[in-house]
Amino acid sequence: MTAQRIDGLRRALEGVMASVLATCDADGVPNVSMISQVHYVDPERVALSYQFFNKTRRNVMATQRAAVLVTDPGTLSHYRLELAFEETRTGGPLFESMKAKLAGIASHHGVEDVFRLLGADIYRVLSIDQVPGPILPPETDRPSLLAATRRTFASLDACGDLDDLLDGVTACLEREFGIAWSMVLMAGTEDGRLYTVASRGYSTTGVGAEVAPGEGVIGVAAQENTPIRIGHMTREYRYGAAISEIARRSGVVCDAPRLIPFPGLAAPRSQIALPIAAEGQVVGVLFAESDEVMRFGYEEEDALALVAAHLGARMLLLRKEAADEIAEDPDASPPSGDHVTVRFFRADQSVFLGNDYLIKGVAGAILWRLLNEHRDSGRTEFTTRELRLDPSLRLPLHSENLDARLILLRKRLEERGGCLRIEKSGRGRFRLVASSAITLEEPDLREAGS
Amino acid sequence: MARSSELSDNVPVAMSPDLIALAQGGSGVAVASSDNRGAPILGLAVGCRVKPDGSLRVLLGRRPNEALIAALERDRAVAVTVTATRDHTSFQVKASRARLCAACSDDLPEMDRQISLFRDGLVEIGYSPRQAAGYSVYDPDDLVAVELVPERVFTQTPGPGAGTELPR
Repeated sequence: MTAQRIDGLRRALEGVMASVLATCDADGVPNVSMISQVHYVDPERVALSYQFFNKTRRNVMATQRAAVLVTDPGTLSHYRLELAFEETRTGGPLFESMKAKLAGIASHHGVEDVFRLLGADIYRVLSIDQVPGPILPPETDRPSLLAATRRTFASLDACGDLDDLLDGVTACLEREFGIAWSMVLMAGTEDGRLYTVASRGYSTTGVGAEVAPGEGVIGVAAQENTPIRIGHMTREYRYGAAISEIARRSGVVCDAPRLIPFPGLAAPRSQIALPIAAEGQVVGVLFAESDEVMRFGYEEEDALALVAAHLGARMLLLRKEAADEIAEDPDASPPSGDHVTVRFFRADQSVFLGNDYLIKGVAGAILWRLLNEHRDSGRTEFTTRELRLDPSLRLPLHSENLDARLILLRKRLEERGGCLRIEKSGRGRFRLVASSAITLEEPDLREAGS
Repeated sequence: MARSSELSDNVPVAMSPDLIALAQGGSGVAVASSDNRGAPILGLAVGCRVKPDGSLRVLLGRRPNEALIAALERDRAVAVTVTATRDHTSFQVKASRARLCAACSDDLPEMDRQISLFRDGLVEIGYSPRQAAGYSVYDPDDLVAVELVPERVFTQTPGPGAGTELPR
């Protein structure tokens, strides 16, 4: 039998329009159900998630056959796929991708332990039949994703430091892909959380907002090191909500659903999160969302995965270049203006300007080190290299963390609009600008000593 | 029109008012049967009606569902799943055979009413009006009715309890 190629049907496999699955038992008694997704595996195979459909599962095990009906969301053309079961995968990239997507959906509804992927059932496509009926003309104004990707690469290649790179990539997503809302989050905190270092399109920047590993599409993408895409948030929310309600009534889960703990669209309809990797390690996540249904399909996932991979490669290159920078001599300049007290708490390395919280963790420790050195020597010029080599800061292994922390710190200080700024002063160099007289306090030490 | 044999003599499983409302409320309706080799055949229906005697009358296009209709004409078993667009509440009806009938005059206004609700439901959950209209389109001259006696009814809403059979 000639192999059936389903590449041309990938839009119909997005799950925008509900898919239908039919199986039969050994006596030919049919069973039919709506399913959340038909997953593209390769040009000749699809995968279906094995989770709740016990009757379906039993039928498939008995007969090895299934049929699905999928719909192209652009033309509304229906396709019947005749499928032959091949295997169930309970591990590997495909399983992890499907599992992570499912976990991302479930985490929005607080039913992670219920809405579980037991296996990825792989089917060979035996036949593809287009269902006769009226169809809409295909859309002709779709931009070329390959051309957009190429232009994005060129823009990122022109960025001279991480700061420009992170802001540049979100700008490219808007300019080249028409993606209005996006974020870059970096990994590497002590507890594995990701923190936002750049964003575009939101009323608040969200810089510093954190996402726990495994939480939502971002946390799962980082944890599983695989792109996570939810193409129809509303439908899948309601899909999950139906399960959630039943689970709660059954006493399976009791907690209220958790919300995404970062500023984002109040009612996104599509989200995509792509791991940013460098030397095989996930160093961050590129995230985008939209108020449009099914904004990100297989083609967009491929294009944005290339962008995220290129971003990771550029980060690595910049890090290696920065490591070659030589520390410059300090340059003192006097502060002026009003007075502010900066408080530092060692317990969580948090920094307060006056009584207002500014930042915590490694970024807080960096600021505290800079301020102390500034107080003791009047120095204002610093290098990333000296910070990288400072054991007291206990920086995580990846140097992107330092650069990203500095960006985070700079943006947080900018948002405060106050007495302190951090400015770039050259490759691998930055300047601490204090427009007020600074008093440093460590309440922890005072209390410990009293 | 070719007709299949008479309906099952079994007493239909009584569907609750909630299920009847779901069936006739602009839900998605999927139909499946099997071919002579026992392989599944499936299709989409336009809508369905619950008759006073408890039987189910499912309206579907003949041209898009030729293989399915041929299977039903051969008295193959049938399954119909009704799913609410708004929250995926769902149930499935199974019967050992079905009867094919011509669509009648009062089917059409009812299908228009249901398809209008279906289209509104699609828009409400986020489909574009273009998608909803395209997905809901049907040819009234091509409709055929499939009647079946619900012999078994199952809850089908995804989650714990999916597949639970309702009392006969």
